[in-house]
Amino acid sequence: MAHLSLTGSDPASSAAPRYDRARLAQWLIFAITAALMLAPALPILLQVFVDRPLYSDGWQFTLDNIGQLVRDERIGRIALTTGLFALFSVVIAEVLGIAAALLIGRTDMPGRKIMGDVLMWPLYLSHLIFALGWVVMYGPSGFITQSIAQQVGGGMPWNLYSIAGMSIVAGVSQAPLAYLYCLYGAVRSVDSTLESAARTVGAGPLQVLRKVTLPLMIPSIITSTALNLVIAVETLSIPLFLARPARIDTLSTFLYGEGIAASNPNHGLVAASSLLLMALVGSTLIVQRLLLRQGHRYETVKGKGTRPMTLNLGRLRWPLAAVFAVLLLATVVVPVAGIILRAFTSFLSPLVPVTQVLTLSNFAKLFADEANVRAIWNTVEISLLSASLGTLMAVAVALVIQRSDFRWSGTLEALAYSPRIVPGMITGLGVFYAAVILPPMGWLRGNIGIIVVAYVMATLPLALGVIQPAIVQIGRDLDKAARTVGADWVGAMRIVLLPLLKPALLGSFILLFVFHLKSYIIAIFLMAPGLEVMGVSMLSLWTNGDVGPLAAFASFQIVLIAVLLILARVLFKVKIYD
Amino acid sequence: MTELVLSDLSRRYGSALAIDGINLTVQEGEFLTLLGPSGCGKSTTLASIAGLDKPTGGRITFGSCVLADAATGTYLPPEARGFGVVFQSYALWPHLSVEDNVGMALRLRKVPAAERARRVSEALELVELGPFAKRYPGELSGGQQQRVALARAIVFRPPLLLLDEPLSNLDAQLRQQARVWLKDIQRELGLTTIYVTHDQDEALAMSDRIVVMRGGKVVQLGTPQEIWSAPCHPFAASFIGSANLLQVSGAAVPQAGPCEVTLSDGQVIRAHTPDARLAAGAQLLAVRPHLVSCEPRENASELRVEFGAESYLGDHFVQEAHVAGTAIRLSVERPQPRGAGRIWIRQQDAVVFAADQ
Repeated sequence: MAHLSLTGSDPASSAAPRYDRARLAQWLIFAITAALMLAPALPILLQVFVDRPLYSDGWQFTLDNIGQLVRDERIGRIALTTGLFALFSVVIAEVLGIAAALLIGRTDMPGRKIMGDVLMWPLYLSHLIFALGWVVMYGPSGFITQSIAQQVGGGMPWNLYSIAGMSIVAGVSQAPLAYLYCLYGAVRSVDSTLESAARTVGAGPLQVLRKVTLPLMIPSIITSTALNLVIAVETLSIPLFLARPARIDTLSTFLYGEGIAASNPNHGLVAASSLLLMALVGSTLIVQRLLLRQGHRYETVKGKGTRPMTLNLGRLRWPLAAVFAVLLLATVVVPVAGIILRAFTSFLSPLVPVTQVLTLSNFAKLFADEANVRAIWNTVEISLLSASLGTLMAVAVALVIQRSDFRWSGTLEALAYSPRIVPGMITGLGVFYAAVILPPMGWLRGNIGIIVVAYVMATLPLALGVIQPAIVQIGRDLDKAARTVGADWVGAMRIVLLPLLKPALLGSFILLFVFHLKSYIIAIFLMAPGLEVMGVSMLSLWTNGDVGPLAAFASFQIVLIAVLLILARVLFKVKIYD
Repeated sequence: MTELVLSDLSRRYGSALAIDGINLTVQEGEFLTLLGPSGCGKSTTLASIAGLDKPTGGRITFGSCVLADAATGTYLPPEARGFGVVFQSYALWPHLSVEDNVGMALRLRKVPAAERARRVSEALELVELGPFAKRYPGELSGGQQQRVALARAIVFRPPLLLLDEPLSNLDAQLRQQARVWLKDIQRELGLTTIYVTHDQDEALAMSDRIVVMRGGKVVQLGTPQEIWSAPCHPFAASFIGSANLLQVSGAAVPQAGPCEVTLSDGQVIRAHTPDARLAAGAQLLAVRPHLVSCEPRENASELRVEFGAESYLGDHFVQEAHVAGTAIRLSVERPQPRGAGRIWIRQQDAVVFAADQ
């Protein structure tokens, strides 16, 4: 018989391994994550209660830092400013984002596809670049401000250097996040039968949007509001560019001023205010969790592949499109165009025709400084390393959390997501402290390793956000089947999960790479000669008043990111934020 | 003899018991079916045997090897047990070709390439999929995928084959063929097989023995003939053969044998009980739909009923009838006129059980 060899048993599969490889791997992943997450956080906590910088000798415990923070009369005003700024910018971002998600995702508004793409620009660019664009065009001596002042006569038509100005810039740059959450969280995934059901009981299309679709968007709105609040609290460049000139401080510019710009940084005060910042962010995220506890009430059936109905705008089609287009043009396209224009001119003013001031000297000046060239190479190198390591770590952590019976996987998940409550600047600060006081991390000092560690830590939640949903899509039977044919946990992950996760890993890599490329805030406290990165170099160009070279640098970064995203789309069919 | 023995096996999820103290011995070479409705614990039992689910109580041994023992904390992972498993979803790896799917077990056992290729093609021949070796699972029909899953589960000569509703995703006609074919392969290879299904026809057609399960417990264990002809529990009777259950009352019966029960409207039926000691009072009467006659028969009790709606099922009708306030189903060749009528139930077809089961 042909299949005789199928009868009779194989000799018992190879003797049991001397050690449990799976447990070892899981503990290793847990230990690395715990070390990476706790090493930067603990020194900050320590610094709060120590009377001098951690790196100096003979420090003693004290509560004076907290006392100093509480007594500092600036703090009250700074907290109020930060609060107002955060509130206004979040309201602007959410209103824009929700409106865009409904209009672009659900109506027949002409040009909605291209407008959706333009709306995303601020997300691909850093706040730093975006703030620069607004200053160049809408600042007190900005091109558009001056043009209008000239036409109308009299004083300035508006004052960008105010809480309102900052809020608008931050609101526009965070609108894409609200848009994405509402679009994919609700508008696109709402089972259209829910809406059809409302139609059958007599609701008109607009009523359906208001009574069914909008309420179903509530979890997306809560989540994006929480994230945007966190970002508004921790953003540095927008208040630094727009508020500092008007002597307005937010928590982040205060931290920056005390910790970096001051000749003699007060580390105790910096650590104490970091703690305050973390408490703010942490409580925001806790509120979000509490609000979403009743999430099942908003559950939308997913994966049905039903095409959501498109709402006919009728006569409002073109007027709405025009309003939306003008809004995008003024708030997104003009600032970006302004940067590029400024990069190629020696001076930008409505009084002088642009053709007379065209120049390449900004680029010449930029690339003449070898620190800037080094910054570019460093950034590329650091971004490549961090994106690879970050993706690797995220997939390892995600597999333990979602696909193992590891006892501490809940703790692991909490640890892995803990960077969400640590603002980027403070991650950098913590890694800096850790490198100073923890001997094993000392070898990281003075090389790019220290920035890579900070980047990997800070963006672990971001990478998990891409990889975890992809793992959910892979049926559990697939790895169970691998176990039954003889693979241990590590083998099952390697044979089945990793190959199937390839697209998600690529997406996570590209997302992290772009994120690190444009990042400036995390590395601020880690800068050292020879360790420049693009974002921080741009920040110092701003501090030195070199707006021309800064615009040139910003244009260079815009082109770099654009090329990268287009390549990713064309070569790998990867669309980040999708 | 390598026997699989489950002793007092249970699995608790929070406060819910998915399996509740199961005792079972599976003989070598036997085809044993776990049969029951969804949620009865049959799949959890199978997963416990495979090592995919950790029991919270009891123990599982295979020959002299302890697979799981809650008392000592022993728990062998699935890869150390080496049983072949066919999943309801087939769980074929979509990124690997058919031959790589089947060959993975041998690759993991470090079988040399030449022997591996030979055994993979043998296994594929056995399931009649030789020409499909280079295809990917996504390019196969449901029936072909199911056969790849079987080939993958037997290629490494497992001592035990576990099948979790492997035919439930096939259409009715294919399922009939696959049933015969699967049984043939099992018999040919002499594989000890545990088969999970909720389909009584499948269970009756393929099994050497059937375990009827409900609520995490074994209700009845026996050959298909025993289960069919002598159900010892009202659930076994109603789940297999979809017997009608009627609330009745009767006197105590000291041993299995003939008895008499009274319906709530006072009509009396001569019946028999398999119970060794039937208590007086509320009892349950089970009668299969096709054993109810609309004409007088020998040794049969006559009942007044109210005939109701009928539905046409091709070779027969199923008609509803109300007796003593309860709806029962009758399988009849010709529907009876609606309204008052009479039926006859033979004593050997009326089975009485204790009511509290």
